[in-house]
Amino acid sequence: MGDVKVTTRTKRSAGTKRESKSSGESARIAVVGIPASGKTTYFRFLSGHFGLNLPILYVPAREDGGNLPLYGDLDNDVALEETTYETTDPTDPEESLETTTRYYVNRPMEDRRKLWVELSAGREDQGILTKYPLPTKFNQFVEMKMHFRYGTPEDKNGSRAMELNTVDEAGGIIADYFSYDRLWIDSAEGEVTEKSCRVIPHFDSWRPDRRDLWRRGLTLLGRFVQEADAIILFLSPALASLRDQAQQINLARGVFRYTRARDLPLVIAISKADKLKEFYGEVDRSVRERTFRSQFDPVDFLLRRDGAGMGTILVAQEGRGISIKEDVFLVSSAVSTGEGHPLLVGEGGQEAPAIGTPTLGVPVMVNTTLPLARACERILAKRATKGS
Amino acid sequence: MPDATVAPPELKLRERNVLLLDLSKSMLAPLPDPQGTKGERQKIEVARTAVFRILQDAATTGTPFGLVTFTETVRVPVPLGEVHRENLPYIENLLALLQPSGRSAVWDAIAVGADLLRVGVQGVRGNLVLVTDGWDNASTRFGVRSEPNEPLKGGLTDLVPYVLPPNSELSLRIVGIGSGIERDRGVDAGSMNVLLDRLRTRAQELGLAGAFGFQEVTTGSQLFAQMVQAFLDVGYDDDRPLEEMHPEELAQHAASAARALKEPQQHATVSRLRAPRPPSPTTEVNYLESPDLEVGVLSAAGGAPAYLRERYGPLGEVIEAYLGGQYARALAVLGDAKAVLPPVTRLYWEARIQFAQRAVVEAARALLQAWSEAEKLPPGSQASVLRRLALLQARMQNDKETETLVRFIDDTEHRLGGTDPEARERLMDLLGRLMELRGTYQLTRLAGEGDLQDAALRHEAAVEDVFGRLQDARLQFSSAGPIVEGALDFIEICLAEMR
Repeated sequence: MGDVKVTTRTKRSAGTKRESKSSGESARIAVVGIPASGKTTYFRFLSGHFGLNLPILYVPAREDGGNLPLYGDLDNDVALEETTYETTDPTDPEESLETTTRYYVNRPMEDRRKLWVELSAGREDQGILTKYPLPTKFNQFVEMKMHFRYGTPEDKNGSRAMELNTVDEAGGIIADYFSYDRLWIDSAEGEVTEKSCRVIPHFDSWRPDRRDLWRRGLTLLGRFVQEADAIILFLSPALASLRDQAQQINLARGVFRYTRARDLPLVIAISKADKLKEFYGEVDRSVRERTFRSQFDPVDFLLRRDGAGMGTILVAQEGRGISIKEDVFLVSSAVSTGEGHPLLVGEGGQEAPAIGTPTLGVPVMVNTTLPLARACERILAKRATKGS
Repeated sequence: MPDATVAPPELKLRERNVLLLDLSKSMLAPLPDPQGTKGERQKIEVARTAVFRILQDAATTGTPFGLVTFTETVRVPVPLGEVHRENLPYIENLLALLQPSGRSAVWDAIAVGADLLRVGVQGVRGNLVLVTDGWDNASTRFGVRSEPNEPLKGGLTDLVPYVLPPNSELSLRIVGIGSGIERDRGVDAGSMNVLLDRLRTRAQELGLAGAFGFQEVTTGSQLFAQMVQAFLDVGYDDDRPLEEMHPEELAQHAASAARALKEPQQHATVSRLRAPRPPSPTTEVNYLESPDLEVGVLSAAGGAPAYLRERYGPLGEVIEAYLGGQYARALAVLGDAKAVLPPVTRLYWEARIQFAQRAVVEAARALLQAWSEAEKLPPGSQASVLRRLALLQARMQNDKETETLVRFIDDTEHRLGGTDPEARERLMDLLGRLMELRGTYQLTRLAGEGDLQDAALRHEAAVEDVFGRLQDARLQFSSAGPIVEGALDFIEICLAEMR
């Protein structure tokens, strides 16, 4: 990850609408998922990818050799912007939140393994770059914004300013907002009311300051997705907890309702795909054998072999704003060889040996850019249709 | 007499009950019980036992209940209202102190009972149950005409229009003790039938909903059974309320229950359940032809409940023996009480006792017969009885998924008894709709490649509908307490699992 360029500390009402830094032709893409579905890692790796040229492996292999029209304008753009919202005084009559914004720019790091180490460590060991300075999730959430362009740097007409957004440290807020449509707001000035928050299980039993922060977070998210041009839904397979599984299914069903009602392009990323044994087998072989052409069929996997328990739900949505064949991707932001060891690829493209002298290598990402590229593609296609 | 000018919130007919209990001297006379194990018992003793049971049920379900006793004087020891469990000991002490004496002002007592159920211009709304062993020989205010135009004696008011004014929705059920050939003179069946005929005629003339019935009993067991139509069960050792579970444990239970809905071939018992539906306000039951069964489940946590025999009659004795591990005795008592127990109750308990003593074949045979008997029950109590049968069957088959599902529905309905009727109604409706998702889910499994999307779409739309209703219930009952919240959590996870 790059340097922290600027830090500002301001007091801002959560309801205040801010001017977008993007130009008129920019597009906003919202990333949503339950807690620990991989949203943060997706942002960090993607923003890092532009500066670091982290290797991306496509499973199954792409016909075009893997060139995707995504890039960062490193000279002019802040690659990543994180704004922390923190309640300091829940009784503040001005209803303000303390906000801290950090801007990250991409610079190649001297030790490329460092990035991996920071990201792969447990959250308590990750430090400021990977998670946020305050330990509690109950008094803060973070708005993440990644700036990038769609097209190629050489083709100036093709490039556009795009934003990828999420509310980080707030997977619970995201899950609640989409699951319970009684919370939905209808305008970028709308507000989620305390009364409607009671649709959230046990909301009344929460601490008052948590209730307040949650409501503000829901409002912020509601306004932000109200202005979104597309949504990328992150789904995590192999969730151990049945509660988490239920939360994810409710979120997914809610996102389908939401995008259908607003005619928004939706792209699905089956995140942490390396947790799926079969998929990992393909990754492993692709790294070892450069000539190996993967036969992995994501559609068959998702529909018939229960990739994230979404088979019937996805079938029901087919053709209603989403195509299972074209809009669903298996992704893994960083592939592990197991037991927490990263799968590193050396300069020659072969797997770096895990024993002996530490070898220079960079962590492998799988298909990570595909959902974002597809979301951009669908936004542009929609605009073109409207324009014509 | 209550203030008839102020109309309380409208309550459903089935939810307001007043018992009129004869306390005239003749109630001290014994009643034979040739098939029971206790020999003769005083009528008043049997009646008290039944009242205890009715009070217990009222405290559990939150159903408003009132008690009127009468000799020459009519009294209201328990005014119509919700019976709180903490007040039960006081009420029971009070009942124990009521000693029969004097004569019977039957008509005056019915009028006072009707006054308790009077709801301003909406007339008299609720259920009256009269338990008497005699004649009206002491009423000073009301009378019943033998013939439509016959004048009433000196200043008496006609009881029939008084208890059945326009707009009323009343049921009157008379349990008459003795047939006139007992040592003490029995109930005046002729007068009671005249009253009922006149009530029926008036209800017909005014176009009113209502049910009017008379049942004569000659033994203590019959009296108890008529006062308390009982299907009584006792919980299992491993019963645990939802709100005591860790959230992940709750999720596991919900997922397990959802599997019972999703896999009908492996969980055939589920298909025998009726989707729970709130009682319709217009559903009336003719007491004579198909009396509703009072379905109760006792908790056995911490040992056998106290006063089982005293409170629950012969069935209580069966349960006491069962809980004490005396299965042979439990079966013997069950056999002796055969004539007075509803067949479904007797067969269920036979199955349960046989299963407890590992006589699997006998247990299965008895349970099969119990299923057949349950099919004959009126809808009011059928769903609850079917669930108790299903629970036993699931345990016999070691079918944990079905057991979890049935337990959840049964436990929720039982525990919601004391909560806001609207919350109860909404949750029962949600449970019913959850059960019905079996149908759309099955279509997604059976559909061929070409039809799969249609089936999936229909199922997802059905899930969406239930989820929308669930959200509305959450908003409306956000402060209804842990029982309602726990049930909603369970349904929400079940819904997520229906995929």
